[in-house]
Amino acid sequence: MRIPGQRPRDGLDINTAMTPMIDVVFLLLVFFVWTISFEAIERLLPSQLSSEMGKQPSTITELSPEMDFEPIIIRMTGDPADPSIQVNGQGYNSLDDVGVFLKQAYQINREAPVRIHPDDEVHLGPVISLFDLTRQCGFEKVSFATRPDAG
Amino acid sequence: MVALPRRNEGRAIGFMMTPMIDVVFLLIIFFLISSHLTRQEKQTKLPLPVATMGAHPAEMDAPKLVVNVEATGQMSMSGANVTKEEFQGRLAATLAKLNEKDRSQFEVRIRCSRDVPYRFMQPIMNACVGQGIWNITYAVYRPEDAQ
Repeated sequence: MRIPGQRPRDGLDINTAMTPMIDVVFLLLVFFVWTISFEAIERLLPSQLSSEMGKQPSTITELSPEMDFEPIIIRMTGDPADPSIQVNGQGYNSLDDVGVFLKQAYQINREAPVRIHPDDEVHLGPVISLFDLTRQCGFEKVSFATRPDAG
Repeated sequence: MVALPRRNEGRAIGFMMTPMIDVVFLLIIFFLISSHLTRQEKQTKLPLPVATMGAHPAEMDAPKLVVNVEATGQMSMSGANVTKEEFQGRLAATLAKLNEKDRSQFEVRIRCSRDVPYRFMQPIMNACVGQGIWNITYAVYRPEDAQ
């Protein structure tokens, strides 16, 4: 059937012009199907370092105003995949409990440096989770402790 | 009375927009996907740690060094396995090429498995501290993206 008002051009039927359109639609379909099946997007978590033994004394001297604040030292020990956590010597059962404490600590002193000190065998997954938690609570100066002789 | 020119009189006048758009889209998608796949190919597949505060990289062009660490502690850079001494050497060599401004922005990006023991991270951190690099970032997944 011919659409009124449209003249066929040199025998080009309207049905023929549909083919590229279907092509475009399929292409878009493939594009969207493919993009949603891509790998998960990686994000970045910035961090700072500190050396447990004060490998760089000059830097620590420069940071002396911060040193007025008592640092919050978080130890991670025990089971590598699910370590127990001590904050300034006080043990906590779960990350949620640590979060409650850290939120309170942040209300008291927003500038306090936090130092995460995991045991050698503790997996990085829980370490990063804890680091993430301290950042969520609002602490800006969160650092990792390392042993200078470790590498 | 003026005669209006008749449309569709010439044979080659008709310009088909649809195939044109088709080709352009095809090229766009081809380059988009191929660049994306190239980037994915370069990256070692690792079960990254999960963090809610993970953000998109602020500056794409900032000088950086990416190091991958598998659960066994094996380090790799640009697809090749490296020892901690080789990592230190590469870090020093990269920094030596940079000017003062780039050096201050220099980033070491750690892509590590969530199951890697912390002791394998310490040589990397110590090497960075030794070179005066404090800007270290961890590649993470958001909880909703984590597999």
